[in-house]
Amino acid sequence: MVSKKLTVSNAQGLHMRPAGLFANAMGKYKSDVFLNVKGNDVNGKSLMNIIAACIKCGTEIEIRCTGEDEADALAKAVELIESGLGE
Amino acid sequence: MYQGIGASAGIGIGRVMLVTEKSLDYTPVRVKNISDEVARYKNALKEFCAETQVKADKIAQSLGEKEAEILQGHILMIQDPYMNGEIEKLITGGECAEKAVETICDMFIDMFSAADDELTKQRATDVADIKKSIVSILLGVQQVDISTAPPNTIIVVGDLTPSMTAGINRDNIVGIVTQVGGKASHSAILARALEIPAVLSVPCATQKLTDGMSVIVDGTSGEVIPQPKIEQVEEYTRRKLSYLAEKKALERYIGMPTVTADNIKVELVGNIGKPQDAPRILECDGEGVGLFRTEFLFMDNAEMPTEDEQFDAYKRVALTMKDKPVIIRTLDIGGDKEIPYMGLDKEDNPFLGFRAVRFCLQRSDIYKIQLRALLRASAFGNVKIMIPLVTCVEEVRAVKALVAECKAELDAENRKYNSNVQVGVMMETSAATMIADLLAKEADFFSIGTNDLTGYTMAVDRGNPRVAYLYSAFNPAVLRSIQHIIKCGLEQNIMVGMCGEAAADPMLIPLLISFGLSEYSVSATAVLATRKQISRWSKQQADEIANKALSMTTEAEVVAYLKTVVD
Repeated sequence: MVSKKLTVSNAQGLHMRPAGLFANAMGKYKSDVFLNVKGNDVNGKSLMNIIAACIKCGTEIEIRCTGEDEADALAKAVELIESGLGE
Repeated sequence: MYQGIGASAGIGIGRVMLVTEKSLDYTPVRVKNISDEVARYKNALKEFCAETQVKADKIAQSLGEKEAEILQGHILMIQDPYMNGEIEKLITGGECAEKAVETICDMFIDMFSAADDELTKQRATDVADIKKSIVSILLGVQQVDISTAPPNTIIVVGDLTPSMTAGINRDNIVGIVTQVGGKASHSAILARALEIPAVLSVPCATQKLTDGMSVIVDGTSGEVIPQPKIEQVEEYTRRKLSYLAEKKALERYIGMPTVTADNIKVELVGNIGKPQDAPRILECDGEGVGLFRTEFLFMDNAEMPTEDEQFDAYKRVALTMKDKPVIIRTLDIGGDKEIPYMGLDKEDNPFLGFRAVRFCLQRSDIYKIQLRALLRASAFGNVKIMIPLVTCVEEVRAVKALVAECKAELDAENRKYNSNVQVGVMMETSAATMIADLLAKEADFFSIGTNDLTGYTMAVDRGNPRVAYLYSAFNPAVLRSIQHIIKCGLEQNIMVGMCGEAAADPMLIPLLISFGLSEYSVSATAVLATRKQISRWSKQQADEIANKALSMTTEAEVVAYLKTVVD
């Protein structure tokens, strides 16, 4: 298991479009991807769950990846969040 | 006769096609052959995605990419692997596909609705839509398909949704009646774009009007006449023909210059709310864009539009209009408009509150994104920037300072823009009127927004029926304001335009000619009629009319007089 804490910094937060982009990208990895938001685990491959979690700009999240390609998955997740998810 | 809101002019005579939602009741059963049921669900899902994509493509073509995005979002949502997994789990446990879809969708609807966030709450309606569509497919229930409407159909519907609009064939559909929606609603804009007569907000329309009933729709007056008598059909057929003849008569003004009877040239441009409205201005022979409202980018969006998104929208209009002027008004929002992600508080007095340029100057982080996008777009056409709701000189100076800051940033990034881009003021408050001489020294142009100018000058809310009688641009107070603004602008040699509804008013046009207005910005459909009206008067005639009108003491006198002049 690998993990990293970071702050969502894109203005829109993880809403429709950015969330879709993120979930889609994570779906390509074999590892499980979870976002821990304020103590709750959210399935990082599920657009619906990410939307339900209302992750706004400025929210601190912990990304946790578990599985054979966990390092790659985490690197990609961090890259996406830090790049502002297409904004 | 039923009265609604006339939202798209013209007369339609035809038979009702009632678009109602069919019942989606079913009796849940325990499933025996699980793999068949999973396959049934998967097929329905596939069908849903294919159908939705077709609709999205149609909408992207007819209305634009932004409108299509809502439907594309539905495809993204239903393809969520977690959601699919949960639905399949329920089916594997013996639930029928309908029940499984409903259970999981309802779970997300509850979850989204309970969120303490307006955006997430809105997504609940998307999930409800998806649920309805997929259950319809599973049950084999065909929702009414508008695209099969026979000739002379009047569509009667609760509300016209984006997915429905994709099916409208303007050869067969001659009228639209809805139960909800105002002049600015999605249905209204769409009906006007399609040039289909429409009456909106007719209470209980879907109950009062029945399938196959013969009906007359008068989109100009907002009347709907069910089961008309023969004489009424004859009368309205006459009116319809004369409406069409008038429209045809205006066609001879296509391609003509906009000049007064004594050949004084003025500019005749159009108002738009979305980039995809711009081609319509050209079709209607407008000479540019006098007001591009940018709120749509913010209101129709679930999230803050990025600089690139804004740039694309502005650039698209600039390119469409080629070298013709495009005046883009910067963000004009406040506490009366719900834009969840802006974090604007509800105010007791939103029209006097934290809005438009006041908001923009305090939130320069948001404003600078827009200004940068506007500047970048200025490299692709004749873009001008207009500041709304100005009340003092400092505001104009502050905006110009921000523009300069943005220019310096763009220079550093080596991005192109027009370094001479004009920054003008929308004249719509009494304060701006009183200091029009001072503002004229700071601004590159003026555009008089008569709607708000009338409201602020008369201190009246036109939406309040008890005081709406005060809302008229023919009040001496408003006429004098308009005259004063134009005079101050001309003294400083800057362009003075008008972008409110009044610019197309035949009764006001002679006064505007007399005052020396140099630009008229009207809705696309009013371009030719306005050109015709302007051509009626020489400066000398206009001066005589204006002198007389301004010598009068009441609005009623002015209106009575101008009516005799115009007719």
